[in-house]
Amino acid sequence: MSYEINRRDLIRIGAGAAMAVPAAFAVADAPRFFTPAEFALLDEMSEMIIPADDHSPGARAAQVAAYIDAHVAEAFESKERDDWRNGLKSVEDLSRKMHGHAFMEASPGERVAVLTRMAKNEMNPKAPEEVFFRELKHATAHAYYTSKIGIHQEMEYKGNVMLEQFVGYEVK
Amino acid sequence: MDMSDEVDLRKTYDAIVVGSGAAGGMAAHVLTSHGMKVLLLEAGQKLNINKELKSMEWPYDHPRRGNMPPDSHALSGREYTIRKPPYAQGSPYKHVYSYVEDGSGSDYAKNIVVDEKDHPYTGTEYAWVRARCLGGKTNIWGRLALRLSDYDFKAATRDGYGEDWPISYADISPYYDKVDLYLGISGHKENLPYLPDSIFQRAVRLNPAEVKLRASLQKMGRVLTPYRAGVTTDGLKHNKYRVHCYGRGACDRRVGGCDIHAAFDSPTGLIYPALETGNLTLRTNATVSEVTVDKDTGKASGVAFIDTETGKTYTAQGRAVLLAASTLESARLMLLSKSSLYPNGIGNSSGHVGHNFCEHLMGPGVYGLDQELVGKPRTLDDGRPGSFYLARFRNLTDRNPKFLRGYGFEGGSGTGMFPDNAYGTPGFGSAYKKTVRDYAGAFIGMGGFGEVLPRYDNYVELDPQVKDRWGIPVLRFHIKFGDNEKKMAKDMADSAREMFEAAGIQVLNVSRDILTEGYSIHELGTSRMGADPKKSVVNQFQQSHDVKNLLVVDGSTHVSASCQNPTWTIMALCWRSCDHLAEEMRKGNV
Repeated sequence: MSYEINRRDLIRIGAGAAMAVPAAFAVADAPRFFTPAEFALLDEMSEMIIPADDHSPGARAAQVAAYIDAHVAEAFESKERDDWRNGLKSVEDLSRKMHGHAFMEASPGERVAVLTRMAKNEMNPKAPEEVFFRELKHATAHAYYTSKIGIHQEMEYKGNVMLEQFVGYEVK
Repeated sequence: MDMSDEVDLRKTYDAIVVGSGAAGGMAAHVLTSHGMKVLLLEAGQKLNINKELKSMEWPYDHPRRGNMPPDSHALSGREYTIRKPPYAQGSPYKHVYSYVEDGSGSDYAKNIVVDEKDHPYTGTEYAWVRARCLGGKTNIWGRLALRLSDYDFKAATRDGYGEDWPISYADISPYYDKVDLYLGISGHKENLPYLPDSIFQRAVRLNPAEVKLRASLQKMGRVLTPYRAGVTTDGLKHNKYRVHCYGRGACDRRVGGCDIHAAFDSPTGLIYPALETGNLTLRTNATVSEVTVDKDTGKASGVAFIDTETGKTYTAQGRAVLLAASTLESARLMLLSKSSLYPNGIGNSSGHVGHNFCEHLMGPGVYGLDQELVGKPRTLDDGRPGSFYLARFRNLTDRNPKFLRGYGFEGGSGTGMFPDNAYGTPGFGSAYKKTVRDYAGAFIGMGGFGEVLPRYDNYVELDPQVKDRWGIPVLRFHIKFGDNEKKMAKDMADSAREMFEAAGIQVLNVSRDILTEGYSIHELGTSRMGADPKKSVVNQFQQSHDVKNLLVVDGSTHVSASCQNPTWTIMALCWRSCDHLAEEMRKGNV
């Protein structure tokens, strides 16, 4: 639970400041940076991280992959693009090593096994695929919880409206 | 835009005010209310602030969900510690901003804060946050509006360190009242001698975890009170530019800024009403480079300034000059104003200009979980201009053996638009998603603000080589926290943990590291008040000991930092000094 500390985050933890991962353009018809195969892999993994459930739709419906694609496409440093491309490749490598075939050709159980392996050291990632998982999850969470679906359906956020009275308990 | 045609620079104004933030806006308000003709100079531009802030835009309606374009970079907290200023030097980015732009909603403030590339500084590590535009930092301030007390003004008498202020609470109290009534402040009366009440409008409410913490602290004799916000919660009948707070919550989600102006900002709170008197002339894009001197009288004659956009130079004449450019910029301007009469800079016969710097230290704090709130239905918790303030409790009746002075905490809890725990909750899949949802509203956190002792050796001076974009020598910093600050920081972290544990809040993280000097954006000192011209720069009316018609009316003049946020005190002091100046000018004494 330790992130780069920002003054306002420090004094208003819990007030909902999204941080660190720069956002990008929400909707794209075709991927701007990723190849179709890379995009499909990204889309699938984002949905595995935040899936649709009986409460709300997941990352796929929220177009998380398109958002990440647009961000990576315009990233200032080309290293960021290389890191994403190499990260997706590390997923494929891991899948082939574990199961003998590409991630998208793997069974649902095999896919979960790959992601579970990637998430093993989430709080202290070391291997390339572990570092990539952290980046992928961070970007997915940021994109999802700032989306229409994330804010209104999943979190059922009621704010950003004009209120006549503050909500909460009056101090007596 | 060249505004030289719009502003008459041939006439001599009654007063020239440099800077348009909390102090400059207040000076303009008070002096024009006395019928004085005032020229207000602001280095930045007048922004269409509502177009900048767009408080209620949803993240998904912004092309980058509120963040800046990719060619812009905000300094991270770490960058301030691993490098030395100037921090933008050698950066490949087109624009570099201070750390306040490192967060959600930064795109809405990118024209408010300065581009570090244009505004370098040198010396020791320092996180300097500057806003050059009409209203300055009041456009994005944190809004915590606290009074100081005689525990602060007479702190030296109490503990033997440093100097007392040349005023007591009784001197400034009527002016705090005026500021409360004119600008509006929200809060709850607590009757604390060390944190005097204001004339409060409707208070914000507390969330369940905050109620729990308040009740627990009461048993320890400590006080958690609803955030005392410089926000009008009931409205101000005398100000047509501002409306009461509608609890929209944007103040917590963004870098800051209130586009309905319920939160105080200098333009709508002070400057626009002052313009309506017909006594105020406003010149933006005016970067003041020197206070000019009348060689015969030794008095200030006016200022020289550079048009920020065209680079053309101008002079303006005034019977009095008031510096309100911010603690560090006002000191810089005095040091820049060297002449044969004032070889060390104007108003600096004491050699104290730039010295006795003080501020608040930040970093230590605690983050926890109220288990009782896990899985509870979604509530609307972020519709408040602030959450809570935990008042100082150290060195009031007792004497802590390890350190002098005190600290308070700002904190908050509950559900916001974005679930912060989404990043820190481990795992993936539906269990992860449900955990984020169930826990999102159950967290509570607070961070400390501690009094940094003023020391002569903590100072700024002009850099002999480096200049800003306008060719003006920049500041070189010599500012470091000392032993008292380090010991206080340790106690802040320890006590924060203890208070959460005592309240039954599960502690998840205790922050112990002190953030880089400057982080609190509460820079103070550098032209302190005092009765002795050898040990201070201005008198109790913020009037230069050396130059009668030169006043410094911003945070520069604070003798010590207290641990309470300074904005309300800056404005109350400025009001008092401007009343005094108007009276002295009427009597012909200035």
